[in-house]
Amino acid sequence: MKKECIAMLLAGGQGSRLYVLTGDMAKPAVPFGGKYRIIDFPLSNCTNSGIDTVGVLTQYRPLELNSYIGSGQPWDLDGSSGGVHILPPYQGSKGGTWYKGTANAIYQNIGFIDMYDPEYVVILSGDHIYKMDYSDMLARHKAAGAACTISVMEVPWSEAPRFGIMSVDANDMITEFAEKPKEPKSNLASMGIYVFSWKALRQYLIDDENTESSENDFGKNIIPTMLAAGESMAAYRFAGYWKDVGTLESLWDANMDMLAPESGLDLRDRSWPIYARSISAPPAFLGGNSTVTHSAVNRGSILQGVVENSVLSPNVTVGEGAAVRYSVLFPGVQIAPGAVVEYAILGEGCKIGGGCHVGGTPENTPEGWGLTVLAPGCELPEGRDAKAGIMLNRNGEEVSK
Amino acid sequence: MNGLQGIIFAYERRGNLQELGSIRSSASIPFGGRFRAVDFALSNLVNAGANDVGIILHGHFQSLLDHLGTGKDWDLSRKRGGLRLLPPFNYKGEWGAMPYRGHIEALAAVRTYLEDIRQDHVVMMDGDLVANLPLSDVYENHLKSGADITVVCANDSFMTEDGTYFQVGEGGRISEVFISPHTPRGLRGLGTYIVSKKLLLELVDDCASKDQLSWRGDVLQARKSELKLQSYIWKGYAAQIRSVQEYYDRSMQLLDPAIRADLFCAQRPVRAKNADLSSTYVGTGGKCVNSLFGDGCSIEGVVENSILFPGVTVEAGAVVRNCVIFKDSVVRRDAQLSYIIADKDVEILQGRTLMGHATYPIVLAKGSKI
Repeated sequence: MKKECIAMLLAGGQGSRLYVLTGDMAKPAVPFGGKYRIIDFPLSNCTNSGIDTVGVLTQYRPLELNSYIGSGQPWDLDGSSGGVHILPPYQGSKGGTWYKGTANAIYQNIGFIDMYDPEYVVILSGDHIYKMDYSDMLARHKAAGAACTISVMEVPWSEAPRFGIMSVDANDMITEFAEKPKEPKSNLASMGIYVFSWKALRQYLIDDENTESSENDFGKNIIPTMLAAGESMAAYRFAGYWKDVGTLESLWDANMDMLAPESGLDLRDRSWPIYARSISAPPAFLGGNSTVTHSAVNRGSILQGVVENSVLSPNVTVGEGAAVRYSVLFPGVQIAPGAVVEYAILGEGCKIGGGCHVGGTPENTPEGWGLTVLAPGCELPEGRDAKAGIMLNRNGEEVSK
Repeated sequence: MNGLQGIIFAYERRGNLQELGSIRSSASIPFGGRFRAVDFALSNLVNAGANDVGIILHGHFQSLLDHLGTGKDWDLSRKRGGLRLLPPFNYKGEWGAMPYRGHIEALAAVRTYLEDIRQDHVVMMDGDLVANLPLSDVYENHLKSGADITVVCANDSFMTEDGTYFQVGEGGRISEVFISPHTPRGLRGLGTYIVSKKLLLELVDDCASKDQLSWRGDVLQARKSELKLQSYIWKGYAAQIRSVQEYYDRSMQLLDPAIRADLFCAQRPVRAKNADLSSTYVGTGGKCVNSLFGDGCSIEGVVENSILFPGVTVEAGAVVRNCVIFKDSVVRRDAQLSYIIADKDVEILQGRTLMGHATYPIVLAKGSKI
């Protein structure tokens, strides 16, 4: 069935800089903001933008992600024409390979895209937290008559060397692209969100595949090649909240941002809902001796202690006399009475025994302060401490970041 | 295929529910911070492996239709069977103008549906029962006891509007049936019965031919000697939501952890429609004590001993004590509420004070602005 526009969501990355949190799952499946997973953001953006066909390219540890996406029903992506499709690498009659790069992943699924014969393809990443109307970006793409439109946002000049930087002309058409430049000529950073005219992209993907030296990557290969070939490439300026949550610090930051709508990340805005697959559990219970302030709480939780400046996923318990501050607790975390958790990210199902002290404040940590991170399923026996800045694996052993 | 089919009676409206019940059937009354009463019966059935459930509707069922949708939230959106909504249709040419006068009349109205039931046994439940019944265990007992009809009873004679009470004799057999007694005695019936499809059809046809309309009167009471009516006694939490006072008292019981553990036991989850709201946020000025919160609430004020449904806002300086606040209601700055049941989309303006009493909770009608 012909579609005007479909989306391809790159969700195969390991997210190695999330370390133990992505030990068993791909980065897009990592919990975020209490009730969400990171992938809920691009998927919900698609639905809210009127895109009803989404290919999700998976590769690294896809089990969690596959079962989370399921039929796509929570995002309204279970329609009879289109809907969400999981696209893992596959074997053909001439063999097959893993996805070698972002462009190769799309190349290997040319057949899938052709099935819908779209005019336009939106390429998305599964590791960004933001709310964006892709239909607005598509309108910009059409108005500019571009072969490719890249979403950009202004970043502080000091941070520009961390991004792919676009130089634009008076009409916001891209004149130059530099991947992580030491001396940036502009502060417009690529957000890794692209709209392509499919006919053009299709040819560039085939040519790129035939180029031996290519890394088959959008940022490193496809975009520079198109620019060099003189294709018309538009920038689409985005001004809202956007964060790459590829590191432990940025994941923690984005969770804290979610508590303060002033940050620009307002998840309570009902005009642009973020959908999620949710669980059956009773409402959250805040007990008689609980003190919960500036925090997010979710269903199935039973909170009896102190919770401050923290984001709690569903089914979290915090025992009496326990304290959780500036932390992000994934689903099913249990904090026994009297334990203290500060500046930490606790993976799914972690159990913190009574009297444990996990993490520390920057003020009380003279040197080497950092977030304390516990792998999913990590259990700390009573009285065990986990210092600020360390990371523990599932068996409670310290691993290096 | 499991041998159980479910029928839920969701047509009853209870006058004593005041404004809570005048706009919806008692089966669709919000309860427990994120549920509707009917979620419990549906979940009980689904958790016992019943894949086919018919819901008998009458009167103000728009709210219930909206809630149930295709039944997917209970995994009842199926190719074969699944959820089947049974509104009134041309029964004896009356076009469903009159409310059903008894369960037998309601069953006779959906006789063609009963005939098509694929299972051997039927569980009949009231849509306003809030309990987490182990129906597979009830079913097993039904088969073992060789009963004609198994009657699920609570282990008390708590007063409920239009209640049914059973006197239980030797071996658990029902010896007497009391309908709406002035003073309850015996065990409180939970409106939940297991009966074979074959016997149910015989009873419905026999009663209909004699112009008998009442399941309780014309079947249970009249035939307690010829049929073997066996009791199944449920000792857990079981609320029947039939009056404002009962609604309020039963809601407040949920603040007791033991009762929540019983009603929301992990082996038999209670499923409900999802609201797609964000996490609940408690602000820097928020003080929440001994209370339940649905998703997406935003709390800057004080909330004590209360139950808040999804999307409720309590602004700074506001105080909510001993209240039940339905979805999307707003309590503005410095307002004070105690012993209030506020229906959906109620707005309490700045500085207003409203107080009921534990023995006389005040109901605020849907959409009202105080």
